[in-house]
Amino acid sequence: MNTALIIASEEWRYWLRSSLAISVVALFTIILIAVSLLTSLRISEEDTERSHHQSEAEQSFLSQPDRHPHRMVHYGHYILRTSPPLALFDPGLDSVTGQSMFLEGHRQNSATFSSLGASADLGGLSWLTPAMIYQVFAPLLIVLLGHSAIVREREAKSLAPLLAQGVSGFQIVAGKTAALLLFVLFLLIPLLVSAALSLPKGEDILTVVSLLIVYFLYLSVWVILTLSVTTMLQKRPAIIAVLAALWLTLTLVLPSIAVNVASRLAPVSGKIETELAMLTEVRNVSDGHNVNESDLEQLRSSLFEEYGVNRVEDLDVNIRGIVSQRAEEKLTESMNIFADRRMEGEVRQAKVVMKHGWASPMLAIAFASRALSATDLEHYHHFLRQAETLRYDFVQGLNEVHSEQLSYADDINRNLSEASYNRTRIDAENWGLLDEFRFETTTSTKRLKSAGLPIMMLITWMIGLFAILVWASTRLKP
Amino acid sequence: MGNSEKLRADQLQIIRSGKEVLSGISFCVDSGEVYALLGGNGAGKSTTLLSFLGFLPPSGGSIYIKGVEVRSNIKAARRAIAYLPESASLYEHLDAYENLRYFLQLAEMPFDKHRIEATLDRVLLASDSRTQRLQNYSKGMRQKVAIALAILRDTEILLLDEPTSGLDPSAIDEFHNLVRDLADSGKTVLMVTHDVYGACQVADRLGLLRAGKLVGEFTAPAGQRIETEAVHRAFSSRHAK
Ligand SMILES: Nc1ncnc2c1ncn2[C@@H]1O[C@H](COP(=O)(O)OP(=O)(O)OP(=O)(O)O)[C@@H](O)[C@H]1O
Ligand SMILES: [Mg+2]
Repeated sequence: MNTALIIASEEWRYWLRSSLAISVVALFTIILIAVSLLTSLRISEEDTERSHHQSEAEQSFLSQPDRHPHRMVHYGHYILRTSPPLALFDPGLDSVTGQSMFLEGHRQNSATFSSLGASADLGGLSWLTPAMIYQVFAPLLIVLLGHSAIVREREAKSLAPLLAQGVSGFQIVAGKTAALLLFVLFLLIPLLVSAALSLPKGEDILTVVSLLIVYFLYLSVWVILTLSVTTMLQKRPAIIAVLAALWLTLTLVLPSIAVNVASRLAPVSGKIETELAMLTEVRNVSDGHNVNESDLEQLRSSLFEEYGVNRVEDLDVNIRGIVSQRAEEKLTESMNIFADRRMEGEVRQAKVVMKHGWASPMLAIAFASRALSATDLEHYHHFLRQAETLRYDFVQGLNEVHSEQLSYADDINRNLSEASYNRTRIDAENWGLLDEFRFETTTSTKRLKSAGLPIMMLITWMIGLFAILVWASTRLKP
Repeated sequence: MGNSEKLRADQLQIIRSGKEVLSGISFCVDSGEVYALLGGNGAGKSTTLLSFLGFLPPSGGSIYIKGVEVRSNIKAARRAIAYLPESASLYEHLDAYENLRYFLQLAEMPFDKHRIEATLDRVLLASDSRTQRLQNYSKGMRQKVAIALAILRDTEILLLDEPTSGLDPSAIDEFHNLVRDLADSGKTVLMVTHDVYGACQVADRLGLLRAGKLVGEFTAPAGQRIETEAVHRAFSSRHAK
């Protein structure tokens, strides 16, 4: 063990005395810091704007004048999702899914990009995130630094005297591994800082620690991969060629193949297609205002029984509000079936992509990182569901107000005169039934759980490569 | 002599990349003895040393260090040997002290500044260059540091591959004295060289290697040196064949 540590510290001394190693690391650090700053600037700017617009939208709903409640159902409401704290590090799907949504009665609109997002866009560089740097470029750095760990000694003929002194191949490789793992810890400092900064913003310590561990695992996989190659192959050009090919394949080629495979194996029907299918089917159920004759009959008789009357005019409640409520309920039920189907399709597709993590550790880390940062597909769906709940609640709240505060007589006669119309306006105070929308992530344990499979993949990679490295190290030749 | 026998090759056969490089050579070296292995380029001298270190498994015959088959305990064999490779083997980015400290540390030897200074003096490495990195050294200066390391290892056995290559005449003379002193203090030295004159000056016994075969052995008469002329004749005539 001691021997390995001596070799590890010598490796560090070599790096510190090599201008190439130092400039490469310096360049990486500068890029990482620049990207971190730009990303956090962009996201916090967007978030400030979003929260501002969110309260504006709420304000504007609440300050609507006295009105017929159904007009408010159609007036609708605008919600915007702010980013979870770790999105500063890994914005994940947030940069490709919409963050804002218009909520109204009888419809489930899809999330859209708020136009304000564009104001802080950094000339198309928004795909370059700190997470991306760690997932794609940090491995390159490890390869640059680690590829020569063994072959350099072979070229300098120092491998023979080392081995001839009785130092074992395993000890040499263990020393190089320790040196590179320590380097990985240094690489993780910026991540540690940005993850720690998310704590005061409400991020859980469990998530932060898991995120650090997961990235350590991922980069360790690269350390062991790099050292396995440099230990097994004799010549530097071959080592460089193999590592370059591995880097390209694992970080760029396989992930894009995975996406292609997933869209073939688990196609999610196009948006327009689904929308048309939904419209045809949903319109058969209800238009959100009325229900069909048999339903109406049933509703009417149960209300008559409940209130002991036999005319709608004699009911204590406005049957039109009740009908709207029932119509919205039925409509939502069938819209939800479509929404669920769509989300299930997306989940299935994501699972196919994720399975490729067995072949590409980069895919595994991408999934784990997004899950922990609350920027994965699950959280996007979570947002859609949260939005739908809010929509349904306020629409049904308005329908309830409609049934309870507006008499049936006034309601059906509202077009007789201006005075009768004005009688159907109910007090604006009722608009206060609208709940505030604040996007909430799932708990840290849940997130860790959904990162479970990708973490398993990384651990498997690590164990497999480690076995190869140990095997190769005992066969080390000068 | 049996008990003091430190190195032994027995019908040693080595095949490298499908080519028979050593074809059944046998010799032994006792403690306190300097054995010089002389031969032309490609004769198999370095290969012989590498097989003693356990880097090249024999295809036939066997190799013993202190009476033990090398491959049965490679680590023990290597710990008993200080090996001077035939070409540059130290770190360019380190100075002489740093190189020595690193390799000695790995050999689990204490870092004794006085011994190191004394040894570097002995190999005639100029003191003002000792704190300079090896990338600024000449070939001979590097060789001096490597020799110093082999001596500082303080092992029973020294395997030296062309130790005098790159050294200036006075350094060569001093080196031969040094090797003699080491042998007289009980060390076993197996030295590979092209230098007939130098080999005769320092060796107790001398083996002539040609195309993987040991074609002649010379032993110094008690209290005298091996006769250079005879070796020279044998060396060149065998070569001419
Ligand atoms: N790494 C190697 N792989 C395959 N064959 C080798 C290798 N090194 C040397 N040989 C072959 O082994 C033979 C002996 O080489 P060796 O290095 O032992 O010669 P040598 O006597 O030390 O020569 P020199 O005086 O030039 O150092 C040569 O014919 C060479 O072709
Ligand atoms: Mg040689």
